[in-house]
Amino acid sequence: MRKATFLALLAFFALASPAALHAQFQEPTKEELQMTSDPKAPGAAAVYLFRQETTDDALHFKSYYERVKVLTEKGKELATVRIPYEVRSFKVAAIRGRTIHSDGTVIPLATKPSDLVDVKTAGYQRNTTVFTLPSVEVGSILEYYLQLRYDDNLVSEPIWEIQQPYFVHKAHYFFNPSKSDGIMNSRGDVLNKLMYGVHAGNDAKMVHDPVNHYTFDIADVPPIPNDDWMPPLNSVNWRVDFYYTNYSTGAEFWQNEGKRWAKEANRFANPSKTLQQAVAEIVAPGDSEDQKARKLYDAVMKLDNTSFTRQKSAAERKNEKLKAIKDAEGVWKEKSGYDDEIALLYVALARAAGLQAYPMQVVNRSRAMFDPTYLSTSQLDDDIAIVVIGGKEVFLDPGQKMCPFGLLHWKHTLAGGLRLASSGNGYAVTPSNTFLQNAVQRIADLSVDTDGSVKGTVRFVMTGQEALRWRQLSIKNDTEEVKKQFNESMRAYLPDGVQADFDHFLALDDYNNNLIGFVQVSGGLGASTGKRFFLPGLFFESHSKHPFVAEDKRTIPIDVLYPKKDDDDVTYHLPTGYSIESTPQVNTLTWPKHAMLKIYSSHMTGAIQISRSMVYNYTLLDPKDYAELHDFYQKVATADQQQLVLTRTQVAQGN
Amino acid sequence: MGISHLSPSRPACVAAAALLVVACHPAFASWFSKGQPIPQWGLDAAKTHTPDNAGDAPAVILFDEYLETIDGQGRAIEREREAIRVLKPQGRGNTCEVSYDETEKVNYFRVWTIAADEKHYQAQDTDFTDRGDTDVPIMLSTRKARIAHPPAVDVGATIVCESEELMEPYLQEKIWGFQSGIPVAFEALEIDLPPGRVRTDSWHNHEAIKPVEIAPNHLRWEIRNQPALTLRDIPSAPEWAALAQRMTVQWGDAAVEGRDNQWRAIGQWVTTLEANRPDPSPEITAKVQQLIAGAPDFYTRLSRITESIQKDIRYFIVMRGIGGLQANHAADIFRNRYGDCKDKTTLLISMLQVAGIHAFYVPLDHRRVVVDPDDPSLIGDHMITAIELPPDVQDPRLKAIVKAKDGNRYLIFDPTDERTPVGNLSSSLQGCYGTLAAGPSSQIIALPVLGPDANGTERKGAFTLAADGTLTGSVDTIHTGPQGADLRTTLKYSDEKERREALETAIAHDVPGAVVNSFEFVQPPDLDKPLELHYKLTAAQYAHSAGPLLLVRPRVIGSDVQAFNDKPRAIPIDLNATGRWRDTYDITLPPGFVVDEMPDPIDIDVDFASYHSAMTAKANQLHYEREYVVRQVQIPADKALSFRKFEGMIMSDEKGTAVLKKQ
Repeated sequence: MRKATFLALLAFFALASPAALHAQFQEPTKEELQMTSDPKAPGAAAVYLFRQETTDDALHFKSYYERVKVLTEKGKELATVRIPYEVRSFKVAAIRGRTIHSDGTVIPLATKPSDLVDVKTAGYQRNTTVFTLPSVEVGSILEYYLQLRYDDNLVSEPIWEIQQPYFVHKAHYFFNPSKSDGIMNSRGDVLNKLMYGVHAGNDAKMVHDPVNHYTFDIADVPPIPNDDWMPPLNSVNWRVDFYYTNYSTGAEFWQNEGKRWAKEANRFANPSKTLQQAVAEIVAPGDSEDQKARKLYDAVMKLDNTSFTRQKSAAERKNEKLKAIKDAEGVWKEKSGYDDEIALLYVALARAAGLQAYPMQVVNRSRAMFDPTYLSTSQLDDDIAIVVIGGKEVFLDPGQKMCPFGLLHWKHTLAGGLRLASSGNGYAVTPSNTFLQNAVQRIADLSVDTDGSVKGTVRFVMTGQEALRWRQLSIKNDTEEVKKQFNESMRAYLPDGVQADFDHFLALDDYNNNLIGFVQVSGGLGASTGKRFFLPGLFFESHSKHPFVAEDKRTIPIDVLYPKKDDDDVTYHLPTGYSIESTPQVNTLTWPKHAMLKIYSSHMTGAIQISRSMVYNYTLLDPKDYAELHDFYQKVATADQQQLVLTRTQVAQGN
Repeated sequence: MGISHLSPSRPACVAAAALLVVACHPAFASWFSKGQPIPQWGLDAAKTHTPDNAGDAPAVILFDEYLETIDGQGRAIEREREAIRVLKPQGRGNTCEVSYDETEKVNYFRVWTIAADEKHYQAQDTDFTDRGDTDVPIMLSTRKARIAHPPAVDVGATIVCESEELMEPYLQEKIWGFQSGIPVAFEALEIDLPPGRVRTDSWHNHEAIKPVEIAPNHLRWEIRNQPALTLRDIPSAPEWAALAQRMTVQWGDAAVEGRDNQWRAIGQWVTTLEANRPDPSPEITAKVQQLIAGAPDFYTRLSRITESIQKDIRYFIVMRGIGGLQANHAADIFRNRYGDCKDKTTLLISMLQVAGIHAFYVPLDHRRVVVDPDDPSLIGDHMITAIELPPDVQDPRLKAIVKAKDGNRYLIFDPTDERTPVGNLSSSLQGCYGTLAAGPSSQIIALPVLGPDANGTERKGAFTLAADGTLTGSVDTIHTGPQGADLRTTLKYSDEKERREALETAIAHDVPGAVVNSFEFVQPPDLDKPLELHYKLTAAQYAHSAGPLLLVRPRVIGSDVQAFNDKPRAIPIDLNATGRWRDTYDITLPPGFVVDEMPDPIDIDVDFASYHSAMTAKANQLHYEREYVVRQVQIPADKALSFRKFEGMIMSDEKGTAVLKKQ
């Protein structure tokens, strides 16, 4: 269950009579009792025969009613029901439940539910009510009704999560909204319109009746999707969101809220006199736009970004006599601020330097996808900056500590949001990274011994997201810890038997340069027969777990976070007395416009260099592209298994 | 009170976990005592130099002192004083927390920070969070933790915490875990006993230290410069809790001379606690009579009852005060058909009682060697059953037998293990110690380590290799003993999609790009029958062309290699399970190809395990077979060299490549 959100509300409602609604338990049909599997949900552990959620602002209660058919042992888990709720506003008013065996025997819930503290702070407490329906068996029908009452001075904006962990045969949702015309948001705006967004994969429609009741009936709801490399859940799950607003259309909402946000962003990013003086010390009069933009970027990167360190508590600020930060000038003076404040400071400094600069507020794509039909600015998470250099807009992420100039953190790419521009403000989407921006080069120089052991060095050269990840990790951890984690991460792609021992980084704190990591590797690598010696042809990939290989079908979109390029150059110095008999085949696999793999090798005296280059130039894919994706990665997986074959020479045999 | 990163890992069943928790605190702002200066002990502790053995630890405990004040009834008030210095950015998470249950009372919990710039701060009520133990879906626990988030915690800062708490009324022992995941510069335990009350102390993985009597019957133990215990990057390591040093002070019934007498007292306490809980109801009696009707022998009677508990009683943990230790009544468990380890054991004892079979509670810890015969205490997180075997019962299916000091034989059975048949025992419990709670006959017992034939897998594959390298074929696998049980449990808690994904992932590890054409699990209803898995697969380019040659790895599926590395080893090596694993693969070669070369066979036999592999070529068939046998569940660190060599040879064999050439 998701907790409903509540708005501040004047407490002038007439007292409602106590909730009299008591859902009647439904008698199971013969078919339901005898059901052992479900053709609509093959292999499912359980199915929901029926679900009902009711939110009634007139009677101030929210209720849940479920009937679940248990089909396998795993399905018995649904006998335990956990309902979290916010303690100050809600109380559990009623719980009834029963288990019905497949022979029709009814076992009522007799044990008192437990009320457990989930989390409690000085101003907030969330509890969970837990109860377990008795005597559950495979074949049982589990049935319960739970009612939460809430304070009379609250109104609700229900969020109905239509998809559940298991297939739902039928569901009924009901909302009786408040009749009050005094609903206000925190700014004091009267919210006089109730709106809703329906995200459902079939034709179910909301019914709004003349007495202002909302009813939503739906059937045959598939379970919540759960796949690797999924985009954020809010972009794929079925749900209904209600919310109060004072706008009539989406266009009106985004225009007006955009104006409101722009006004506040411009106020914060005011290029004050203090900032202009600061800029004068940072940039030179003759600097180009690009030079100015970069110098100012470096200047804000030097500030303490408390989103990556720690925000001072009120007690510390008081102790240090620090004033509350109200604008970019305050951030500059304190040399400290959180990510969004630093992004807006950059905009202010750029403006002070005479550059065209605009703030943009975007969704964090690691959390959610932007939904323009959901008229709420609460979905926007972070601020970024846009500067115009040479007439071209450049998207920057100064709030992301260690993010190089010109790169957006991937979570801010392809992210929708509100932006300012010379032509006004409005909705926009950030650009994607290019694969050239996110490159990893792995250069190995390895000496192979006749016993199959290998020893050597590996140099990792990282740009873009990979470098950013390690650099941001190094802010929250010391270098030793980063080294350990780097070592641990390498286990995923080193061949079995080979160990890594990280040596040192270069440019860990210099985000404008490539990040380089040096690693010593050693261990058992080769296998031999009487005449031959075998080594993995693709040193870094022979042990890798390739995505999209195992499953041949996909129904939900694919999200690989960002485009990328991996280049490997591995030099094997051969053991004395061996010569090369066979190398990995020169191979080029292409998935036009999306991805490419190239493998090639070159011989030299006593050594061979094997190179592999893999590019993928996409971020989000439609499920219809999956067949080609799967086919490509299957070929990659098999190509990466090729071996290098060495032959023992006559001289070696004589030894 | 303890630092947050030291929380024990989630137990399989938390029968006695409450006893592992060392302090608690309720959530009332008045207990924070706003505006109090940092106490002198805290200021003194903060002057402690970071010890030399801190190494690259993220934080160090400068001072940690417990004072247990015992009243006339044996109930303890515990005061803890702790000072933690943050050494690295990642050490900022090392804060103080106290856990508490509904039968405990915290008198105060105060936290301060001496910032890196020497400024002093006190945590206010807004700097604390209470968290319930609600993150395990199959557990109902009333225990909570109160966590401090004090201000100004930067590198160089010292957090100073003090709490006082009235402990559980039944708790008459203190388990002092004096080793941590970070180093400790100084720590002390004081026990202040009423006149005349006796006490004992015992130690786990540490030499006994003599206390100083600082007042009559008021004792103090001190330890300095305790190194951190970290298992990061140590493969095949035993459980952290089994290695961590600790000591136990008893001042209740278990404060008696001699380890055997102490364990007897602990067992007697458990016996009393659970007395009458297993009393059978008429419904239980009727059910048992129905189950055992016509059973021809002891094993059949027994297995019908155990399987009924395993299959019909859903596992659900209930921890509520002493309810974390004391079971529900058998009648309630039977009616509701759910319960945790102690509940399942209670119902089993009850049902066996109806069938005329005696059985007893065995509290223990599911993590091997956490319970130590030399350190008697209630430490543990699980409860299983010891079933007394009549002298005339000699059934080879009953393998997990312990002979007690009184000469009785007990069959060890875990009723929460829903798929291991009675007579066998899950690998994780083999080698553990537990308390046989049999009233005056109570004692510590070592759970058996079963022979290799009680567990394992037999896998046979028949494949055809095409000239383009494509491998097609089928694999038939038979899983016996705990391994089969584990797989049955996995199947129980997964659906068809999850099973397919898990199988595909496992195969892809050995054969990237393989497509599973079909698969079928065969689970006989009788748990003592093995579980079978049959599947068909196709792997394009399984064999790779190398000029005129075709290279093929005869070991197609499965790995027997245990994690190892070449670093110096100081802690034992956990081999996980005894057992026997056999693989046989036949590959029909593509027309016109013959075997040019094959890897050498492997033949290695050491005291803890053996591995034999061989490959033969006959006509157009390549035949590979291997057998891997593990005889011990844990070996000492000084066998690391032998272990590495052993694992290295298995790895080499698994990489072995056969060379085919066209005739």
